[in-house]
Amino acid sequence: MRLLLILVLGVWTMGLLQTAMASTPVWFGSQNAPRTLHINSAIDLNSFEPMLKAFVAQYPEIRVAYQDINTLELYYQTINEKQKPMASLVISSAMDLQLKLVNDGYAQTYQSAFTERLPDHFKWRNQVFAFSLEPIVMLANKQAFPGPLPEDRQALLQTIRQHEAQVTGRIGTYDIRKSGVGYLLASQDARQADATWGRLLEAFGSHDIQTYCCTHEIIDDVASGKLVLGYNLLGSYALQRVRDDARLKMILPKDYTLMLMRVALIPKRAPNLEDAGTFLDFLLSGKGQRMMQTQGLLFPLYPAENVVDERYLVNAPGPTGVIELDQQLLVGRDYAKQRRFIKNWEIALELNSDD
Amino acid sequence: MWQKSHLKHSDTSPSEIAAERRALKKAPSLRFRFILAGVLVIGVIASLAINLVFDSSRKLADLSYDRLLRSALLQMDENVGLIRNEISIDIPWSAFATLAQADEDRVFYKVESLEQGFITGYQDLNSTPPKSPVLDEMQFYNQEYSGEMVRFAWLERRLTEPDTAQTVRIVLGQTRLSREAMASAVTQRAIEVVVLVALVAIALIVIGSHMVLRPLHRLERALEERPHGDLTPIDINTPKETHHLKVAINHFMARLQVNLEQLENYTADAAHQLRTPLASLRALAENARDNISNDTVSKDAVSPEKQNLALENIVIQCDALSQTVTLLLNQAVVSHRLQTQRLAPTNLLEPINASCREQAVTALHQGIKLSLDCELKEARVLGDAFAIQQMMQNLIENAVRYSGLGVEHATEVVVKVMAFDAFYRIQVIDYGDGIPDAEKQRVFERFYRGRYDIAGSGVGLAMVKDIVDHHRASIVILDTQPKGTTFQVDIAKIAFSRKPV
Repeated sequence: MRLLLILVLGVWTMGLLQTAMASTPVWFGSQNAPRTLHINSAIDLNSFEPMLKAFVAQYPEIRVAYQDINTLELYYQTINEKQKPMASLVISSAMDLQLKLVNDGYAQTYQSAFTERLPDHFKWRNQVFAFSLEPIVMLANKQAFPGPLPEDRQALLQTIRQHEAQVTGRIGTYDIRKSGVGYLLASQDARQADATWGRLLEAFGSHDIQTYCCTHEIIDDVASGKLVLGYNLLGSYALQRVRDDARLKMILPKDYTLMLMRVALIPKRAPNLEDAGTFLDFLLSGKGQRMMQTQGLLFPLYPAENVVDERYLVNAPGPTGVIELDQQLLVGRDYAKQRRFIKNWEIALELNSDD
Repeated sequence: MWQKSHLKHSDTSPSEIAAERRALKKAPSLRFRFILAGVLVIGVIASLAINLVFDSSRKLADLSYDRLLRSALLQMDENVGLIRNEISIDIPWSAFATLAQADEDRVFYKVESLEQGFITGYQDLNSTPPKSPVLDEMQFYNQEYSGEMVRFAWLERRLTEPDTAQTVRIVLGQTRLSREAMASAVTQRAIEVVVLVALVAIALIVIGSHMVLRPLHRLERALEERPHGDLTPIDINTPKETHHLKVAINHFMARLQVNLEQLENYTADAAHQLRTPLASLRALAENARDNISNDTVSKDAVSPEKQNLALENIVIQCDALSQTVTLLLNQAVVSHRLQTQRLAPTNLLEPINASCREQAVTALHQGIKLSLDCELKEARVLGDAFAIQQMMQNLIENAVRYSGLGVEHATEVVVKVMAFDAFYRIQVIDYGDGIPDAEKQRVFERFYRGRYDIAGSGVGLAMVKDIVDHHRASIVILDTQPKGTTFQVDIAKIAFSRKPV
């Protein structure tokens, strides 16, 4: 048993070393396990690792290969591998891309006691399933941010106008051309409040906003003070850093807070369907959901109340706009609309389309 | 007893019961036929109804979901515009929110312009509708795409903006899951109702058949529970439909009763009739024996004359007895024939000639001349030749028998056959003493004998009457002038208007 544990730890540390190389997966579980489950996921390993470890502990016969991939790449990779997918499970926060994969026939149906218990708005066609629902937040560096911390987007706009010098080049957000989830959030902003989005975009453009591929880089730069504020960040990542870093402040915009689901699907013709289903069931199970909350990993779908750490209960100060997991997401990914949207974004941010 | 009942199982043998059971098994069941026919009809109606429901529920589902599709397509169409002289579309979120009401259905679309080509959507989607495209006219059709049957709405229109002459075409489709679900929900409900109605109807038929046939069972039970020989009318309340059956059974039983009574009387009287000649035969024989023994005792020579006379008397009595038996047998044969044989076209003259020929010699023995007075070649009637011959024989015998009586010995019996428009008339004329008017009505009664001094059974004329009645003919007794009796039988000619086949 101890030997096995050492082995597991050994494999895990090796896995950590390999994280740097995106193309090689991180392995969990015993090397001798008879079955292997490949997961392609856009969740940062930091947030997901304890879940994976708990999973292989519960199912020692399964070895998990976990590959962390950017949401947009994940989408293209799933399409490219449609004849012979590597991954048995594809997990992403780019709900629209996941839904489009299902709509275009790349996913297969899965049904279990756990997916049956899932309310209809957390799944679509029994082919894509949500297991986490988290707020989209702004993250501010308390010391570096000029003036009072903004409560909503209007206040942010005001700060930008009042403190142009301090904020220019020091606000970060997703590059919607590189990040699938970044595009989704931007398009949802445009949908929720078109005028506000237009003004924000204009302000961002005129104040040299920094664009990033990934959440954690933005958070790093906010923490270091290189940025004063990160806009449209995934709540779970932000909250993880806020817990340990007193300089950071997570803000749920008061005008409206977008709520994003992380969703999983099983590609068609994927190998090892059973274990993919088992892992999905594990994410949806009471144990998995509780673990997200108690260990501060992700926001569960149904947070348990009366827990010590209440931060994983979303208490948005204003209305929440849950991004619905249905056909409407296809509109945002409409070819013409997407092209126009990105074009406008590039023009507003004065970026070259070659970037 | 030959009125043995087949209905009473108690006194029927096991083999008969088994045979009856086999017959019952083989016999077609009225109730089964009724139920079968009912179930078949209901089955056909129900399957027609279900078929109809299948069809219409699908149409209904298409109708309601096509509205969503139309609305979404129109919303898209509204957002087609020109940007720098290039057609573009900004699909509104609400269009797909409309489609999301069919919550599990995939959505496919394609927007293109004839001049500019593909604009957005699914490039490999076939945008040619099955019907010939007409501008501004929306079309709905099913087509397979991406491995599933998809319902498409299709629209093509010309852009109305100035400085451009472009045609834009939008195809929007959604898979059929929700439609099928709705259709099958409607169908299932309807099938439940149809099946329920059909089952109720079948149950009603089964119950109804039982109710309808119950009076028959009641009749059957009433008949079965009767004691032997009970031929009184059935007295149970029956509905109108079985009333006639009950009446028919009662009539039949009444006839049977009459027949039985006749038979019983006849048997009793026949026995009685045979007893008298038998007794006198015995007396004659005893007499002869006594003569012989007396003669032996007195040691006198046996008188051959006396002995001859006694024996002659016995022979005469035997002849009379034999005649009676023959008559009884003939009557039995005739009555059997009358009951079983159908009347057929017959030449009336044949049996008349035959009986005249037969009787002529007998009559001559008694010093009576029998003559037939007939100028007809043929006389066709509906009748039974044997019965007619028996009738004639009886009439002639009767006439001959009564001719030799009286002071003046009549020596002639005439049989006359005449033709009238609608019937033939047969007359048997004798010149005997005649029958008093008071007796004329009684001579046809069975065992009535006008004169007991004349040999006869008393059944001959009764048989004549039976035969006449059976031929729907009429018989009257007239007085012959100056004296004597004439029996006159009128029998209808064959009605030629109804041509016999």
